[in-house]
Amino acid sequence: MSLPDKKGYFGSFGGKFIPETLSFCLKELEDAYRNIKKDKKFKKELKTLLDEYAGRPTPLYYAHSLSDYLGLKVYIKREDLLHSGAHKINNALGQALLAKFMGKKRIIAETGAGQHGVATATAATLLGIDCEVYMGQEDMERQKANVFRMRILGAKVIPVTIGTKTLKEACSQAFRDWVTNVSDTYYLLGSVVGPHPYPKIVRDFQTVIGKETRKQILAARGKLPDYLVACVGGGSNAIGFFHPFYKDKKVKFIGVEAAGFGQGGLSAASLVKGKPGVFQGSKSYILQGKDGQVKNAHSIAPGLDYPGVGPEHSFYKSIQRADYQAVSDKQALAGFNLLSRFEGIIPALEPAHAVYYLKKLAKFGKGKTVILCLSGRGDKDLDIVRKYNL
Amino acid sequence: MRLEDKFKQLNQEGKKAFIAYFPFGFPKIAYTNDIFLALQKGGVDIIEFGFPFSDPLADGPIIQQASACALKQKITVDSFFDNIKKIKKDIKIPMVVMSYYNPVFQYKLSNFFKKAKENKISGTILVDLPFEESNNYIGEAKRFDIDPIFFITPTTSAKRVKKIAKNSKGFIYYVSITGITGPKALKYSDISLHIKNIKKITKTPVCVGFGIHNHQQVKKISSFSDGVIVGSEIVNFIDKHYKQKNFLKKLEDHVRRLRS
Repeated sequence: MSLPDKKGYFGSFGGKFIPETLSFCLKELEDAYRNIKKDKKFKKELKTLLDEYAGRPTPLYYAHSLSDYLGLKVYIKREDLLHSGAHKINNALGQALLAKFMGKKRIIAETGAGQHGVATATAATLLGIDCEVYMGQEDMERQKANVFRMRILGAKVIPVTIGTKTLKEACSQAFRDWVTNVSDTYYLLGSVVGPHPYPKIVRDFQTVIGKETRKQILAARGKLPDYLVACVGGGSNAIGFFHPFYKDKKVKFIGVEAAGFGQGGLSAASLVKGKPGVFQGSKSYILQGKDGQVKNAHSIAPGLDYPGVGPEHSFYKSIQRADYQAVSDKQALAGFNLLSRFEGIIPALEPAHAVYYLKKLAKFGKGKTVILCLSGRGDKDLDIVRKYNL
Repeated sequence: MRLEDKFKQLNQEGKKAFIAYFPFGFPKIAYTNDIFLALQKGGVDIIEFGFPFSDPLADGPIIQQASACALKQKITVDSFFDNIKKIKKDIKIPMVVMSYYNPVFQYKLSNFFKKAKENKISGTILVDLPFEESNNYIGEAKRFDIDPIFFITPTTSAKRVKKIAKNSKGFIYYVSITGITGPKALKYSDISLHIKNIKKITKTPVCVGFGIHNHQQVKKISSFSDGVIVGSEIVNFIDKHYKQKNFLKKLEDHVRRLRS
């Protein structure tokens, strides 16, 4: 059976936990998406946009130096080379096109690192739809360049000043906006989180990563890899990468979460350190206190700085299809350095967590073939990294 | 007191329900019971007792800030019930708990309803638990004889209205606007029309909440519904006045004025 089921569940995770006002919009979205998925015109238009505008397919690159150093065969799926700098554009183009087909006049989005905000602003401008992006004030400080990029692209960036002033609050504010402006507004959610059908829609638009990778590795090596490694915040690049290999049971999935300060300090490792609960529309692993209040997350990578995770990852964890590990801020900086120095590729701090994990994998996986999903490039993070005097 | 009996009583007196929302632990736990009793004294018919949640998706800035403030006081579901226990014998009006699903889910539904029953809670409202996800919730509520109250909004389809009307006990919470909590200008004709349509298919009382913040709105909306729910306005009043002399008397007078 293909998941999610009709009610939006992946096993016991997912569902639709939302205020009543939104049930109408989610139904409308579900119906529109179901129809459009089969629409030839839509599929053709999206494929053209992805290939000619965003730069797909992205290369699968064999990382010689890093492979020699680690004693692994490391391939890198270069989502960092996409237009606007990250995998986020795959989903943003898909959903913006869906919004256009639905006749929506206004797109709203939440953003943490600003990559989804930039991708959404890009797609909205391209398709001629107004765009407003909610962003936590702390993230606006941390990712100034992306705030400026969104504004250059004509989007309005709305600072969110409540609570942690990060992605979690930006997401809540976007939902509140949507509840208020249901008739003309499309909420372009950036990860595989939130109520059904978002985890499915975002996954479907991101599976282009895994589908390409599967073909490319078979062409390059004639066989499937041993491991897929990707960073997990909400988990959209990881699910898009893993999902097309789901039935290839010998291919192991490793999702790398942010351990933040590490050792009992604040983190963003929902799957490693959290437990199941209901937050922002779905049932999944969340970082929470005993009493069900959601905890503050922390990660050096703003795109991972979120106390929840997509329900499909919770499902993968529950059936042990994927293994989830956590890597600290300091280790992520080491990963950032590693890829920059060995391969001349400056990664975003989010996938830098996954890069660092390769060092751990090298200890027990000598000679194995590993594909790393490099979800974004590091230009946006130079200010953060500079502070640590690398 | 059961909600059903309260509405019967109001009906006999020719009155409509005035329901007041305020969150537990705001501005401090020590204030909660005094606020409760002041609201009761001021003539509130039903208290909608908020149990704050860290991420209140359906709430505007006033209740968001009050929730954040309450959470700083390290409130827990247990301290919430323990606190009610202290004034249990003085409570004369029905109480309804309003929260989001996760705190209740973590406490376990059956434990939550058991405690609720012991502490004279008549009904529960969980903002992010829609009808489709409510099988266990409805079952447990029934087992403990507590009314599960559901929302109907301007965007709820006719088909859903029927299902919700059938399952909502005590009263139906009609949301006046498509939006979040907090003071708003309201379109009486639209609200009145929606209520008429709901009333055609159910005998359950329909009360209106969200946006209502002054005496005139209370009066007008009460004229075509079974009652009103006032939340942000009361929270705002508490916030502005709790440091002042005679705060409780002022609060009591304020709700009396709102409902008169």
